[in-house]
Amino acid sequence: MRLPPFQLHRPETLQEAVSLLAQHGEEARPIAGGTAMVPMMRFGFLRPEHVVSLKGIPGLDEISESDDGLRIGALTPLYRVAGSAVVRAQWPLLARAVGSVATPAIRNSGTLGGNLSYAEAASDPAPALLALEASVLLTGPEGDRTVPITGFFQGFYEADIRPGEVLVEVSIPRIPAGARWSYLRFAARSREDKPLVNVAVVATSEGVRIGLGGVSPTAIRARRAEAVLQGPGLTPQAIDEAADAAAEECDPLSDLMGTAEYRQDMVRVWLRRALTGLQ
Amino acid sequence: MPTKTHVQTRINGENIEFLCEPRQSLLECLRDVLQLTGSKEGCNDGNCGACTVLLDDRIVTSCLVLGVEVEGKEISTVEGLAQGNSLHPLQQAFLENAALQCGICTPGFLVAAKALLDREPDPSEERIRFWLANNLCRCTGYDKIIRAVMDAAGKMQETKA
Repeated sequence: MRLPPFQLHRPETLQEAVSLLAQHGEEARPIAGGTAMVPMMRFGFLRPEHVVSLKGIPGLDEISESDDGLRIGALTPLYRVAGSAVVRAQWPLLARAVGSVATPAIRNSGTLGGNLSYAEAASDPAPALLALEASVLLTGPEGDRTVPITGFFQGFYEADIRPGEVLVEVSIPRIPAGARWSYLRFAARSREDKPLVNVAVVATSEGVRIGLGGVSPTAIRARRAEAVLQGPGLTPQAIDEAADAAAEECDPLSDLMGTAEYRQDMVRVWLRRALTGLQ
Repeated sequence: MPTKTHVQTRINGENIEFLCEPRQSLLECLRDVLQLTGSKEGCNDGNCGACTVLLDDRIVTSCLVLGVEVEGKEISTVEGLAQGNSLHPLQQAFLENAALQCGICTPGFLVAAKALLDREPDPSEERIRFWLANNLCRCTGYDKIIRAVMDAAGKMQETKA
């Protein structure tokens, strides 16, 4: 099946990309690695008349560390995030999650910004970035806008990206010394599948932050489960209660990989495993 | 209507120029424009790996890459594996281990496996299985393919030693 015809724009600056996207509105879509956009177009879920490739814009694929934390350009391919020495040493949760996306070939093409903009509920990076309290920087016709990742995912394949906006950078604050973490994913059939459920946890002296994927229309923070752990900490009883709370607060869909009820059960199981196996 | 774009690239070590529409994937450009039909179209959505090629030395599923975006890049396909009449050790090992039946998946497996052995000459079986997770075979059940890759790795190590 061939792609429907479209006009491809290959801007060399971000401003040019933004004005093309703004000018063509709903008729335009940005493309980065193509691992999501190409199938969406090929199978008719999207039919943009204008496709704006972001790959020719320099400077959007850099990883930099500062006192405040980590910044990752949106066009950075997933393999480079997962393999970055800085990410692996300082934000190992993120390296693990990003390195879990699909397969080597997909991680070579796919980008971090593309993964987040796609707003797939069963994203590997999304729950990790939720637990890490990351934020994203968007550039659009009205200027720059920073959105905490906790507010970025708005619905089923829907992110807070306004017309003409492009996700340009992901910022991740430093993890306090002594923090512990876990990233677990459960794929029901085989390893390279999207996770049926995935769980990212960051536990600091101030509390536990939990990101869940695959079990709601978007990846979510499990706030009620976090609240359960706030007083007692990671006692066996509190962990059981937090796992029950997480299963209650998620809102899964049924699909070929599993029913909603099964997903809720798996949230309970995998969150308990994550909380008992923090690194 | 979209006009065709002129693309300059290197494929299997040769400078190549071609014309393509924006909507043509790299796979379509290889097969339909350049008659390099070794890379196969399977699922056309990045799952099956039959279209796997190297793009700047990294494996990608060429059905997900737009042809116009390989401007200035280096591509290697299954056609570049054999040197004249002598097969690449992986190709020889696939034959000797009967690691193919219908053969549609074979070019993708060969390209992906070569990328692995170029980086890691002595991978474990587990490593090979993870690496080849993006290549689906509906005939062999994989064991013979994995054995062929291990076999080729061993032979290539011997040749080097």
